[in-house]
Amino acid sequence: MSQPIRAKNLSFSYSKDGKKIIDNINLQVNKGEILAVVGLSGSGKTTLCYCLSGIIPHLYNGELSGEVYINDQFIKEMNMPQIATKVGVVFQNPETQIFFPMVENELAFGPENLCIKREQIGKRIEEALSLLDMEDKRYDKTEHLSGGQKQLIALASVLTLKPEILIFDEVMAQIDQKGKQAIKDIIIQLKKEGKTVIMVEHNLDNIEIADRKLVLKNGGLKKFEGSLQ
Amino acid sequence: MKLDPRTKLVMVFSLSTLAVFVVDTLLLSIVLIISIIVSNFFKEDWGFLNRARKFILLLVGIAFLQSIFSPSGEILFGIKDFTLLTTGGLAKGIRVILRMLVIIISATIMKGSSPREIIQGLIQWKVPYEIAFMVSLAIRFIPILGQEAKDAFTAIQLRGIEIDKLSLTKRFKVYSYMFMPVLSGVIHRAKELSTSLEARAFRAYPERTSYIKLELSKNDLLIMSASIVFTITMLVIYILLR
Repeated sequence: MSQPIRAKNLSFSYSKDGKKIIDNINLQVNKGEILAVVGLSGSGKTTLCYCLSGIIPHLYNGELSGEVYINDQFIKEMNMPQIATKVGVVFQNPETQIFFPMVENELAFGPENLCIKREQIGKRIEEALSLLDMEDKRYDKTEHLSGGQKQLIALASVLTLKPEILIFDEVMAQIDQKGKQAIKDIIIQLKKEGKTVIMVEHNLDNIEIADRKLVLKNGGLKKFEGSLQ
Repeated sequence: MKLDPRTKLVMVFSLSTLAVFVVDTLLLSIVLIISIIVSNFFKEDWGFLNRARKFILLLVGIAFLQSIFSPSGEILFGIKDFTLLTTGGLAKGIRVILRMLVIIISATIMKGSSPREIIQGLIQWKVPYEIAFMVSLAIRFIPILGQEAKDAFTAIQLRGIEIDKLSLTKRFKVYSYMFMPVLSGVIHRAKELSTSLEARAFRAYPERTSYIKLELSKNDLLIMSASIVFTITMLVIYILLR
């Protein structure tokens, strides 16, 4: 089975003499798998997401060692636009992921950056909204959406880049039960479409859909056995 | 009538130019009336004036100060040897108010266009996308930052400080406590925002495509030309009247 994302002996600290947030992690994620990484607040979950999505080392500095491969390509040798088409990241706060007041403009932003043709952009918007069952929101103002809907639009805007790997960094932290269920349903749908999903969570109720569960503790990854302690 | 955002920008630019260059109360009043008519044509809801009432009061205050510090003409009001209001000062104050009102009201013409359309208009005018986009992003985040400052202020009050009962010096000290959390919040938000932008391939290539495309109609060209002709005519009248 192919492994679209792999980390080998991965370690990271934000400063030279600082504590290692990630300490010698080895990770392979299979194609079409939903992997959940759980951990307490401050355990380094977001840092791990940043390492796996190339945000570290491309955008954030620190002491990084080890390797991350996306489809067997060394992430350090890829630039952010290349990574963006392979790995889509949805962050915790939808407010800082939505840049435009209208849903359609928001969804067009990524493909426009990638110089996709107009007709293709329209098609991608349609596909993403149809997957999320939000076609009726296409011309809505983003400020009128609920927290859950905003998070779904943030996800849709990532989907228009057509990434094969999706990383969800505590995306359900700020939304209600209904919104959480909607996101879980979408994640299952994405798996059916062959996408590889890594969901990082601190709330154990959100990870029942995962095929594999790992816990991040003291910088290392272990098999999750029901407790974060 | 749906107008291209560039046409609206030309109209706003024309009216604002007149507001800045014309120093004649009558002509400024005419420009203000035209601004109101044009803004009304775009079915602007005037509720914003109610929201901006504090700002309008500030304007009146500035106008009053202007009239005190630049006295000319006949004295209208004074205390002993100290002149407070003169005819010339009052006229200057009124002109300040008129000028600011023209700028505010003309800016409302843009309200009907979405920020994305305005960005597109600027891009088609060869303004670099990054600049147009950053300006639109900054405008979008102003209310969110305002909310952050309000939250910090509420947090301070919840700790038992009654701002209204404090002296001015102590009040400033309390405001200084707000500065750090608001600033750190702003930096944090900016960092999150830039990460999201990069993760969505922002500036992937020197060029980018655009999903929306603007085309100037005959009406647009007509209104643009009329705005420019009107501005030049008003400026010529003003120069001839001087």
